Amino acid sequence: MEEGEAAKVDILKNTLYDTVIQHGSNTRLFTQSDLLDLDIIPHRNLQLLLQVIQALTNDKLLVGVTGGQGGLAWKYRSREDAKKYTSLPDETTMLVYQAIDEAGNDGIWKRTIENRVNISDAVMKVCIKILEQRGYIASMRSVEQPNRKMYIRADLRPSHRATGGPWFTDGQLDGSFIETLEGVVFEFIKGRGAYHQAPGAGSGGATRIPKRGVVTAAPTVTAGTKRSAKEITSDDVTPAATPGRPVAVASPASAAAAKSARKPEMFLPMPAGYKGYPTIHDITEFIHQLGITSNTTLGENDIRQLVEVLIFDGLIEPIKVGKRRGFRALRPTKQSTIPYNIRAKEMQNGIGLHLPHTGVLPPTNGLTEAPCGRCPVFDLCEEGGTVSPSTCVYFMEWLGLEEKKKEGDGVAEVKVEAGSDGKGSAPP
Amino acid sequence: MNVTKTVAELCALIIDEMYGELPSRIFSMLLTRGRSTILDLEQSMEMTRSKIRHGLAVLQQYNLLYWHLDPGAQHAFYEANVENAYYLIRAGKILEMVETSYGPPAKDVMQNLLLSGQTRIGDLVVAYQERIEQDNKQKAASPDEESYKSNLLVKSTGQLNSVICRLVEAELIDLVTADTFESPDDILKKVEKEVNDKHFYGGVRGTKAKIEYQEKLAERLREVRSEPKSLKRKLEQNGSSAKRRKLLGGGMTNGLVEDEMDPALDPQQVIRVNYEKCTVDLRNRRLVQYASDLFGDTTSYVYAQLLRHLTKDISRCRLDPLVDHYGEKEDGVPAQKFVTTAEILDSLKTAIDLSVGLGKTTRKMLSKKAATAIHPRPPMMKSLIQEAEVQGDASSDEEDDAETTDDEDYDGDYKPPPLKGVNGNHGTNGVNGVNGSARADDKDQEIVWDRPNQLRQHLLILAESNQHLVRHCGIDEWTVDFELVMASMRVSELDTVIEQTTGPKGLRLARILRARGKLDEKALPTIAMMQKAELQRKLLEMQSAGFVHVQEVPREPKADVKKSFFLWYSDLDKTRDRVLDTSYRTMMHCIQVLEALRHKDRDVLSTTRRSDVKGKEEEMLRQEYFQRYKRFLQSEKMLFSQIMRVDDLVAILRDF
Ligand code: SF4
Repeated sequence: MEEGEAAKVDILKNTLYDTVIQHGSNTRLFTQSDLLDLDIIPHRNLQLLLQVIQALTNDKLLVGVTGGQGGLAWKYRSREDAKKYTSLPDETTMLVYQAIDEAGNDGIWKRTIENRVNISDAVMKVCIKILEQRGYIASMRSVEQPNRKMYIRADLRPSHRATGGPWFTDGQLDGSFIETLEGVVFEFIKGRGAYHQAPGAGSGGATRIPKRGVVTAAPTVTAGTKRSAKEITSDDVTPAATPGRPVAVASPASAAAAKSARKPEMFLPMPAGYKGYPTIHDITEFIHQLGITSNTTLGENDIRQLVEVLIFDGLIEPIKVGKRRGFRALRPTKQSTIPYNIRAKEMQNGIGLHLPHTGVLPPTNGLTEAPCGRCPVFDLCEEGGTVSPSTCVYFMEWLGLEEKKKEGDGVAEVKVEAGSDGKGSAPP
Repeated sequence: MNVTKTVAELCALIIDEMYGELPSRIFSMLLTRGRSTILDLEQSMEMTRSKIRHGLAVLQQYNLLYWHLDPGAQHAFYEANVENAYYLIRAGKILEMVETSYGPPAKDVMQNLLLSGQTRIGDLVVAYQERIEQDNKQKAASPDEESYKSNLLVKSTGQLNSVICRLVEAELIDLVTADTFESPDDILKKVEKEVNDKHFYGGVRGTKAKIEYQEKLAERLREVRSEPKSLKRKLEQNGSSAKRRKLLGGGMTNGLVEDEMDPALDPQQVIRVNYEKCTVDLRNRRLVQYASDLFGDTTSYVYAQLLRHLTKDISRCRLDPLVDHYGEKEDGVPAQKFVTTAEILDSLKTAIDLSVGLGKTTRKMLSKKAATAIHPRPPMMKSLIQEAEVQGDASSDEEDDAETTDDEDYDGDYKPPPLKGVNGNHGTNGVNGVNGSARADDKDQEIVWDRPNQLRQHLLILAESNQHLVRHCGIDEWTVDFELVMASMRVSELDTVIEQTTGPKGLRLARILRARGKLDEKALPTIAMMQKAELQRKLLEMQSAGFVHVQEVPREPKADVKKSFFLWYSDLDKTRDRVLDTSYRTMMHCIQVLEALRHKDRDVLSTTRRSDVKGKEEEMLRQEYFQRYKRFLQSEKMLFSQIMRVDDLVAILRDF
């Protein structure tokens, strides 16, 4: 190649590059005719164009790719990036870096690179060492495949796909963050989707409260040892306390009258057609204003994900009024009126640790209150079996006929009182 | 009812508990053997015929068996009536319900009926007469006749007659008829034969004839079914009685006057407790409790009144496809029943303040259009799943979206429909005047409703609920789609069991799978926002509890477990069956524990049975014995009430 020719290519090369970067981002593909149309190569000389392209490729400023319609195309690289390539000692390292570069913020698995570049593990190690030393790449982990060793360009942040989104910290689902946020969101939905009746805020005068509806459960007192229909009676004296849900059949009297004429502090359902139930948008905005998510921003989709979890937990329900899709807490009148931040403080001081973040225990029913409903050996239990009702310690405890066993007490020395016929053994 | 081994065992235990070992053993045998004659029983039980006869008589007395005698045959076939055997558990609850709804005398009569099984009215009258006479004697003998306090609840045979009439009208008591002891299968066979012989002698040919045949069959079955209610119909024909009784819920203050207005009942007729209708009333109570849980006490009180009106003529919870699908009518009443706002308003106690339990808001914040939307037809069953489904963009009720701007204000002036002159002064229900002043022009002012509108607000809240508590089926007309609301209640009860058994995360997973269908394990962490390890542990725990299930999907035609992937899903029916089984077994365990306690305290208990001790236990027993006795009674009570509570769940899952 003549000297003049070389100089000409050199000038054209720089002009072409500078023009190309004016025409789009470094992901745009330029075909041969695109480049000719730039009107830089004189007389649309194809030969010359190819020479110029070759020179740019050597400088790592252009990258050839298989273009859209099967033809060849090129995209450019910034001078800065290109310098990284040219500074590398050999072609192999360059190819390894290229693979990592092209993977973008998803990162790439070590094995994938090895296969693509077709090198051994040992060579790979050397290349990685060089690249890491220069600070070009960094290792990373993806939540999708946490056991794979992956690499990413050092100047990129791993994508949501790799980190798992705002709910992950260091590749781990951030349980406590989520739980706090669930609590805050629930509190917001509860407060906005129900009416907070202040204590004692009566409408003046004696408040009339439903006395006893047709459904009132009046305890029927029965006693006796005979077998009679009379005995199977449902005194609502249930041994296991049932917080969160009244045992008695809904009797307006039981709940309201007990608190005399004063109105208790509680949440009340909103009239039908209420337009103030918070939507996903409202909730997202509220979280932003609250500013509790300092290092991540939560979009509406993130909040929707969280709200859906609250629905699945049976804490809130979607409610559609006209076109508005809002949310409200289920069972408003049963909800705690203690604000979440106060609860959080209490919990720091060790108060109410057994309660979930709603501040209210979940409902129970007859089955879950009976010892059998929670029994670890239920499947084995049978009269005449190794574990049987007539020798059951859980029931004895439940009936208050026997002290609750302390941890570590030998199971062997079970006090078989009921019908002790020697074969009694207790569930572990 | 699905008669599993557990159900059979439970029923045998209950019968043993109530009526002793012999009937219980025969009942079990009938369950194992199926239809049997007395000869079969004799053979397989190795018992004397007279003993078996005795046991069968007890079972028949309490309606615990069916029997069928083919014309000309020598021996009848016996079958166990599992439904009624199970219902024995519910006796206490039924009594309590009768007491609160119909007063203590009604409970007393019902209790006697439950204790003695089916009874001739004449016998019942005699029994009461004896008691009344004895009471009178005591009264005469007592030093101060004036202040003598009788503890009799039913004070005259006239009152007894009246109480029975009332219970018959409520359908809680019905007549024992010729068909009472025929099993449903036998009745069907009999009716089929009848219809065939009468109308389709040459056989049923063609689609039209088939439909006609089904209709005839349904009609005839309905007749048979309503026969036990013939007494009710007779009473109702008796003119004003029904209307007068409306007022009776309040009590028996001037009982005597009313008693005389009831027709005397035929002493030869045999009556019994009608469990089917009792179940309807129990369902009402449970629904009210559900509503109270969801929206508070005042709203649920309104709901109770609505249900009471609505179910007056509903005889059973579950419709029989064979009987109720043909012809639009059920027992002669149009299929869709509804209650009007005015009817409910009339029946609310004046002491109830309806403003309690309603959130306050401004006119601006309410969409009247959305609130008062009318749905003349029940929604499709699928909208149920929607409750759990989290809103994507796809929504099945898009017709709502036709609504345009929604800033229409709520001008809550409800105009009550013209009241038909039931009695003249209804018109002044505080509508005029009050309404005018309550109306605020300012949209930002808190709305103050008058009483009819307060009532309406409670009803609208119920109608708006996702749980289908009420459907607003016409202007100021309200109805309940029982199937839908019960489905939502069943789900809610199952959720409670799931949450209490496998924790809140377990509930979360079950509901996700229910809403999203079958899911690969990989898809779950994101939706559930749970860590993989925790999630896997939970799924396995829930699988063994029977709440979720897994399906293997092979990747290749040749199934290879290693290559297959696994889809998790949650099947409500399976969960329900599992929970039912657990419930039955829990009830069994309660009875067995009680049995064991009895055995343990048998020395004390045998003493208390002595006639000289009975009723005077505290004085007669040694201190230590008395303490044990007291403790036993307390345990017994706890166990029974626990059985009741478990039965609450069973009723929801199975009967309502
Ligand atoms: S061991 Fe006791 S608690 Fe457990 S299933 Fe048996 S009776 Fe119930």
